[in-house]
Amino acid sequence: MNKRLVGWSIPLVFLGVLFFWPLVNILNRGFEGDWAVHLVDARDWQITWFTVWQALVSTAITIALAVPGAYILYRKNFVGQRFIRSLITIPFMLPTIVVATGFTIFRDAANLWTDPIVWIIAAHVFLNYALAVRTIGSYWMSLDLQTEEAAAMAGAGRLRTVFSISMPQLKPAIISATASTFLYCTASYGVILVLGGGQIQSLETEIASAANTLLDLPKASALALIQTLLSVVAFGISQTGGRANIGIELGDHDGQVKRVDRRDWLAIGITLPVVAFLIATPMIQIVWKAFTEGSGFVQNFVNLTSLGTRNVLNISVLDAALNSFRNMLISASIALLVGVTVSYLLALPTKKRSTVLINRVLDVMFLLPLGISTVVLGFGYLVTFGGYPLPLRETWLVVPLIQSVMAVPLVVRLIYPALVALDRNHIEAAATAGANRWQSFLLIELPMVRFSLYTAAAFAALVSLGEFGAASLLAYGDQATLPTVLYSLISKPGGDNYGMAMAASTLIIVLTFAVVFVISRENRPEPKPKRNGFA
Amino acid sequence: MPAQGGPLTRALLNEEGTKVQKLFKAATVAVISSLALAGCAPTSDPTTVVLVTHDSFVMSEELQSKFETESGYELKLVKAGDTGSMTNKLILTKEQPIGDAVFGIDNTLLDLAAENELTTSKLVPIDFADVCFNYDINWFAAKKLPVPESINDLALPQYKKLTVVSNPATSSSGMAFLATSIAVFGEEGYLNYWTQLKRNGVKIVAGWEDAYFSEFSGSSGRGKYPIVLSYSSSPAAEVRENGKSQTASIRTDCYRQTEFAGVLTGASNPKGALELIEFLKSSDFQASLPENMYVYPIDSNIALPDSWSKFAPSALTLVGEELDVAGNRKQWLKAWSALFE
Repeated sequence: MNKRLVGWSIPLVFLGVLFFWPLVNILNRGFEGDWAVHLVDARDWQITWFTVWQALVSTAITIALAVPGAYILYRKNFVGQRFIRSLITIPFMLPTIVVATGFTIFRDAANLWTDPIVWIIAAHVFLNYALAVRTIGSYWMSLDLQTEEAAAMAGAGRLRTVFSISMPQLKPAIISATASTFLYCTASYGVILVLGGGQIQSLETEIASAANTLLDLPKASALALIQTLLSVVAFGISQTGGRANIGIELGDHDGQVKRVDRRDWLAIGITLPVVAFLIATPMIQIVWKAFTEGSGFVQNFVNLTSLGTRNVLNISVLDAALNSFRNMLISASIALLVGVTVSYLLALPTKKRSTVLINRVLDVMFLLPLGISTVVLGFGYLVTFGGYPLPLRETWLVVPLIQSVMAVPLVVRLIYPALVALDRNHIEAAATAGANRWQSFLLIELPMVRFSLYTAAAFAALVSLGEFGAASLLAYGDQATLPTVLYSLISKPGGDNYGMAMAASTLIIVLTFAVVFVISRENRPEPKPKRNGFA
Repeated sequence: MPAQGGPLTRALLNEEGTKVQKLFKAATVAVISSLALAGCAPTSDPTTVVLVTHDSFVMSEELQSKFETESGYELKLVKAGDTGSMTNKLILTKEQPIGDAVFGIDNTLLDLAAENELTTSKLVPIDFADVCFNYDINWFAAKKLPVPESINDLALPQYKKLTVVSNPATSSSGMAFLATSIAVFGEEGYLNYWTQLKRNGVKIVAGWEDAYFSEFSGSSGRGKYPIVLSYSSSPAAEVRENGKSQTASIRTDCYRQTEFAGVLTGASNPKGALELIEFLKSSDFQASLPENMYVYPIDSNIALPDSWSKFAPSALTLVGEELDVAGNRKQWLKAWSALFE
């Protein structure tokens, strides 16, 4: 227990200093004022209600589409599958500002529904589809095929097999995917900001405008409190319903799955249009605009070294990309260090009841950054790290640090289940051979989960690359990042600006696709993790 | 998995194990060294002066180096978002300010700045701009429609679906027009006016740039709306090859935004900050304002460029100067949002 305590001290200090301290600090300022009125304010509840119902609708549609998608993309196999899997993963990795722009073009081109809510929901489905497909798909893949096959042999149709055999087995994965999708949709900022055009408010945009435009910290704090409660409820549901160790997997384990056949028509009929229209079209439109908008393809890219028409940027897109790249390296390194340590400590075998309970609490504590408004946390940094004792605000490190805090939960969600699922034989063998706990972790366990590690590194990197809420507060002046300059270009059109935004978005899409595709290639079939932990 | 612990473990130790270890080590080194760097970062430097401004601030390189040679200080610009977020950042960080001087606090935020004692002395005015409606001259000529002459006209049926304005909740020009409507129609009448505008199909967009460059027909974006909420100075930017401006302003009932500068409380270089403020008031900088920022210099002795005196004179009548915008914006926006959300 003592060693455990020493081990926990590093990640706890990290979380305490970089998350809880600024958070408590900023909430405190708000709670000094008249915050409670906002808990009974009709408009604030209307906004809360909107946040919840759009998240519920977005989540329901996402999950309904993801189940057939997971079936086709993970339970079956066909030529080009890996390409499609990579393709659907890009949206989740893209900066939300880019996604929102893609849907703005889509909306203007389609001219069908002008109601921004329709497009907000569409963008949320677009963003979370991959997350849900991967969570459900990788779990489905690990399930025993035999029951399904037996049912099929006994004459059950595909639909019936799915509903009566697969779905009950998939319950934990579906609950887990539902909870995370819901969480992302309630915390959505960039999508609602851009597609809502300032006329649709969710909790996150209202918090931002309360804090940013009106300097109404009591209101921001009250709304942040409501949002945190929502997140905690979502966590609670995911914890009770699903087993804790459902992960999101980027790797492809092409095992013994069967080829797609004619009886899969329904799943194909649903998934094909989703991939073709919902996923591919917005991205193709961005690329198309990069070629046709403004002064044309080449010029749009050349312009990326400029400050835009009317000098709307403080630094060129290229310089912002360099900032983003630097932030990404630092942020991902820190998130990996902390996340792996936390996962290791959580996965340490234990029989003591108190330790199990403490682990539960710690697990949720390290998940919490996912459910906190990045805008609120950004303001917390602004007021906490101005000078003594930690003058972080004056350095560029402030942005990668806050982004690493947000990436830690994802790293833990990827590494922890993988560690739990490890075959303990090797570890015990190493222990017998005289390796101490730390050696055996570094030399045996980590290498065994290396694919999850690569995936976690990619996720952490892309969280930093796409993060907008906190960066828009903290990365001003010459520290602007790709998403913040993109937002400036998109929100300040005219002249070359829009074309530049499209060119930069195209580069991001291409780079993201390359990263995802390469990682999924690296992940050759590895020993299939045992899903049920210690079983 | 069949039991193959021995060889597998060895294989992992030899190849992948070391790779992962290296990765981990490299990460540790990166983190520690960057944290060390952060610790040593300089916090104050008496040879520089830091000016906090909004994102729309433009100062030519010649002017910057002129100030630097005259004062002997290096000038550093910190662009801290739009006017509202810049002011909020300054208030939140007033114990340890992010710069020495500020430029760009406007008249709607003056009281707020004073309440929070953001600056050591009274803020001084540097420039102003008048928020007025602009219209597309050619569009109205082609349709043989008389041009609107006041903000009242915008609610008339012949101007249905012709007007685009920016959202008062997200843009300062939008807020200025909301204040205009309150000044003209009173606290009891302005919502009625907005209801009429809404019924008349007014288009609301998030920012001035969206409205002017994407939706307005008279500018480069060639949008669909021939009437836009903009500034009295905007027509100077739309002068075409024939030497005439393609747009004009409705110059009555406009709202004047004046921008101020001052020395920040707790500045590490107050002397340099004061010199900078003096420079912003100098004729060199004042003369650069129309071309660089599309605003009028506060110094009335400065001659405006030709195209400005011809096509972009300042407003004829101003309203709303007596309104307490900072104090009332929360409740105004709440009422306005209830109508438009």
